[in-house]
Amino acid sequence: MNDSDPRTTTPLLEVSDLKTYFRTERGTVKAVDGVSFSLQRGQSLGIVGESGSGKTVLSRSIMGLLGRTNLFREGSIKFNGQELMGLSVKEMRSIWGQEMSMIFQDPMTSLNPVMKIGRQIAEPLMLHLGMNKSEARLTAEKLLTDVRIPEPQRRLNQYPHELSGGMRQRVMIAIALACGPTLLFADEPTTALDVTVQAEILQLINEQRVDRNMSLILVTHNIGVVAGNTDVIAVMYGGKIVEKAPTKTLFSSYKMPYTEALMRSIPKLRQASHTRLATIPGRPPDMVNPPLGCNFAPRCAYARPKCLVEEPELTVTENPEHVYACFYPVGSPEYHERKLELSQRSDLLSTGGQN
Amino acid sequence: MAILLLLSVSALTFGAMNVLGDPLFNILGPLAGDVNNPKSAALIEEVKVKYDLDKPLPVRYVKWLGDFVTGDMGVQFSTDGQPPVSGLIKERIPRTITLLIMAQLLAVMISIPWAAITAARAGKRSDKISTMNSFFLLAMPNFALAILLKYIFSLKLGWFPLTYKAIDPYFERLRQIFLAAVTIALPAAAVYQRLLRTDLITTLQQDFILMARAKGLSRSRVIFRHAIRPSMFSFITVVGLNTGGLIGGSIVVETVFRIPGIGSSLVESVLREDFPVVLAIVMLIALAFVIINVLVDILYSIIDPRVRR
Repeated sequence: MNDSDPRTTTPLLEVSDLKTYFRTERGTVKAVDGVSFSLQRGQSLGIVGESGSGKTVLSRSIMGLLGRTNLFREGSIKFNGQELMGLSVKEMRSIWGQEMSMIFQDPMTSLNPVMKIGRQIAEPLMLHLGMNKSEARLTAEKLLTDVRIPEPQRRLNQYPHELSGGMRQRVMIAIALACGPTLLFADEPTTALDVTVQAEILQLINEQRVDRNMSLILVTHNIGVVAGNTDVIAVMYGGKIVEKAPTKTLFSSYKMPYTEALMRSIPKLRQASHTRLATIPGRPPDMVNPPLGCNFAPRCAYARPKCLVEEPELTVTENPEHVYACFYPVGSPEYHERKLELSQRSDLLSTGGQN
Repeated sequence: MAILLLLSVSALTFGAMNVLGDPLFNILGPLAGDVNNPKSAALIEEVKVKYDLDKPLPVRYVKWLGDFVTGDMGVQFSTDGQPPVSGLIKERIPRTITLLIMAQLLAVMISIPWAAITAARAGKRSDKISTMNSFFLLAMPNFALAILLKYIFSLKLGWFPLTYKAIDPYFERLRQIFLAAVTIALPAAAVYQRLLRTDLITTLQQDFILMARAKGLSRSRVIFRHAIRPSMFSFITVVGLNTGGLIGGSIVVETVFRIPGIGSSLVESVLREDFPVVLAIVMLIALAFVIINVLVDILYSIIDPRVRR
């Protein structure tokens, strides 16, 4: 998808060993625990994981939007060659909205209920681009046309409650795009929307990304959402990236049992109706006291004693773009051995059930 | 609704005054009991006719009501009818209204930035010190605050005049009222600040505030442009409801600062059991209350477009 060679150009965003901890009464929550990745201009990255995997904190930590109290942040975030770690809120403000912007999860609550749409879009335009009221209004109208809102001129004078959820999410996208950012974060942009609207919104975000040559970080719990919309997918679990690969590679040859479990939990059309949805047993790890070994081991069907005591490092596969953190990845002899055992056991169980 | 409320307030006050006391006594004093003396008996008859006391209560109420709506509030008992109650009210009400408007404006002007600053720093030391200050203001009785302010700013520093003179020019009189307004405003501002601060803290945790921050807006812009307006509901409700309380507070403050307003009239007339005056003032307070709360309802719809129909 991306024609520029990622190895020769400097990346737009380079995150190395980013840690984001929160101090709470229970102890330190290691929400993001050593995440590294880089993103080229125009490239899109999907971050996938369950709730509590740290994906939202990761995106907000990169953007620097987290509150400062009881926060511990470490590592390096290079954006356009500039180190963001350690910048003050004041310095970040010139980047927010202008260089980086974010589409939030819930369009119902993320727009100011008592401010007209037009003003909400015009605000960053006037602040960052120094437009006057009428220029900002014209640009806002154009932005609403770009995100395909009908009758844009009338919408400018409406309040959020007069618009549907899908429309509001389009307004949010318009606000995020307003100043022409180079990096767009979309944090679960379709979770609060109807399924029919979801595809439209994703398509819109992707079109705009291509048109404006933006980079996109799409955060979602739904691996199906990132499938058609991203170049690279990073799977997060317990505050860490556990597998990262170009989208096609990930879908064809995933290595992490966790990724496999995520793939399995996508409902499939060819399944008969009322088929029980595949779920991942157990709960995400407690990030105050994460497990000693692999974070996923306690829930992993393929875990062996080593997994519980030793933490796997990210390993590169034959494809240098594809990394994973697992001792016994999908396709390894140990994996097959266990898979066989499991299928025999489930055969026993199902015959037992019939008697 | 509002009219029903005013009617019941008037009926209740009117009834209470005539049943719990005997207007005849209030007019004639001890003479009213001296029915055996033909001289005083004649006087009693004369007064009864003059003040319509010979008619049954409902008839008197209807007559009083009819007069009241046309602006005739009856005559004072205690001064042999001069000036009429409406004259007394007309003379005194502008002072109290000026005092209360000034006090409310001050309270609102103090409390909004105060709440904004403390909400932005919630839990920090400056916020805790401010909480202590507001509790101090709330705990202080208003006559004590009045005396304290008068002592410091009038007597010691001489910034404000000690007394109110009705013949002085308007702006001079505003200066004379100022300290009294501050006395009423400070505790009120403390209440408003506590309320607005709490609501602001809640609003500041909303998604659209994060969204506003992500636009790159400065902290004060986020608070004043985005957070204040949706946090104003309980604030304006209480500002409206508190107006009644402020009128009550003005009784003490007008007395301490010697401002001849409605509050001090109310005290005087209650002590003299001058019912027409008490009745008129109670009605005006109720009327003010109703009007202000209608205004508050209108304000709701201005502040929140979702309330509009």
